[in-house]
Amino acid sequence: MKGKVYIRGCAAISPQESFSGSFVPQPPTLADDNILRAKEPDYKAFIAPNNLRRMSRMLKMGLTAALQCLQNAGITVPDAIITGTGKGSLQDTERFLHDIRQYAEAALNPTPFIQSTYNSVNGLIALQQQCTRYNNTFVHRGFSFEHAVLDGLMLLREGNAANVLAGGFDEITKEHFYIKSRIGYWKTALTQPADLFSSNTPGALAGEGAVFFVLGAAPAAVSLEGIKMMYKPSQESLGQALETFLSQHQLTPADIDLLITGQSGDSNHDHWYQFVQQKYFPDTIATPFKHLCGEYDTAGAFALWMAVQRMQEEERLKHVLIYNQFYGEQHTLMLLGR
Amino acid sequence: MEALKLKLKQQIIEALNLQDTRPEDIDDNAPLFGEGLGLDSIDSLELMVLLERQYQIKVEDPREGRKILQSVQTMAEFIKSKQAA
Repeated sequence: MKGKVYIRGCAAISPQESFSGSFVPQPPTLADDNILRAKEPDYKAFIAPNNLRRMSRMLKMGLTAALQCLQNAGITVPDAIITGTGKGSLQDTERFLHDIRQYAEAALNPTPFIQSTYNSVNGLIALQQQCTRYNNTFVHRGFSFEHAVLDGLMLLREGNAANVLAGGFDEITKEHFYIKSRIGYWKTALTQPADLFSSNTPGALAGEGAVFFVLGAAPAAVSLEGIKMMYKPSQESLGQALETFLSQHQLTPADIDLLITGQSGDSNHDHWYQFVQQKYFPDTIATPFKHLCGEYDTAGAFALWMAVQRMQEEERLKHVLIYNQFYGEQHTLMLLGR
Repeated sequence: MEALKLKLKQQIIEALNLQDTRPEDIDDNAPLFGEGLGLDSIDSLELMVLLERQYQIKVEDPREGRKILQSVQTMAEFIKSKQAA
């Protein structure tokens, strides 16, 4: 294994004022549904009007976040473009499916079909930056972004890339919100993000976002030390994996300066965080993030972005651990250092 | 014919999401591809779909499509000829 991997740049479009560069965590106020919607920037500054007209919302968000991230890192053509998405462009998928029904499987418009494929954002980034190198998209529900990160880490550590653009993106639509509400994903009563952790009710608040990172070997303020994924672990195996993960980095829970948890206010699944905090981090400062961005497959990308912001602002933070899980199935640990 | 061309321009703007373009900005005889509106191959597929959805006209031969989609004028003439047949 070669040297450390650093986070050389990042950019986020989220329900926060995250894209402008002046991030102050602020739970949004919801008007009439449990959806935290992304604050979208002016895309015209990033995408030519002739290209912009054809792109759906997710594509615009993904491409713009990726371009801003590359710009922040001072890189034009990365050695690899790797993304994770749970759903891809839902708007295009829904439009295409509606058209199939409305036009009886005939006279189908090609654009939403092309853009509904999960790797559309990757393709657009590659086209825009004239990048013909490694290009991969992972679609593994709550592990999607994390697999993109893992792939990037492996490329860098094996010496097959000097820098990697890795990101996660997902959007929420009214229709998808309704479908997932049928299987209890969301809270039924309108719940304000500020009251999320005292709600004690089943379900989460829906969210969305596009977050990108440039990972590389060149030193920067924050390093990505490692990532560990577990599918449907027991509490015992999660605890063992956590201990092993930290010891592999010559750390114990007491060495963690900040714990970022994926607590979502969901009474069905938040016990995982209570277990980890009470057993391993009783005296560690802990902060949630899903009252800021909502719950979605690639919300872990927002957590990583938030961790980088905190570490850039606070020198005292030497080791930050992110623990996130998606509806009790996909559990992830991400460790950041200096 | 004039009413058809105006309607066609409105439909093209909507189907292709031509932001900041108004029907009066599109010259009847200006080429739709390359110069003029600067459309591309994906747009040509979208215009074929437009003809099928809005006018129930299916263009079977791609070589025929190239002639039909030259301009708003050629599209309107093609629609008229099909409707008269």
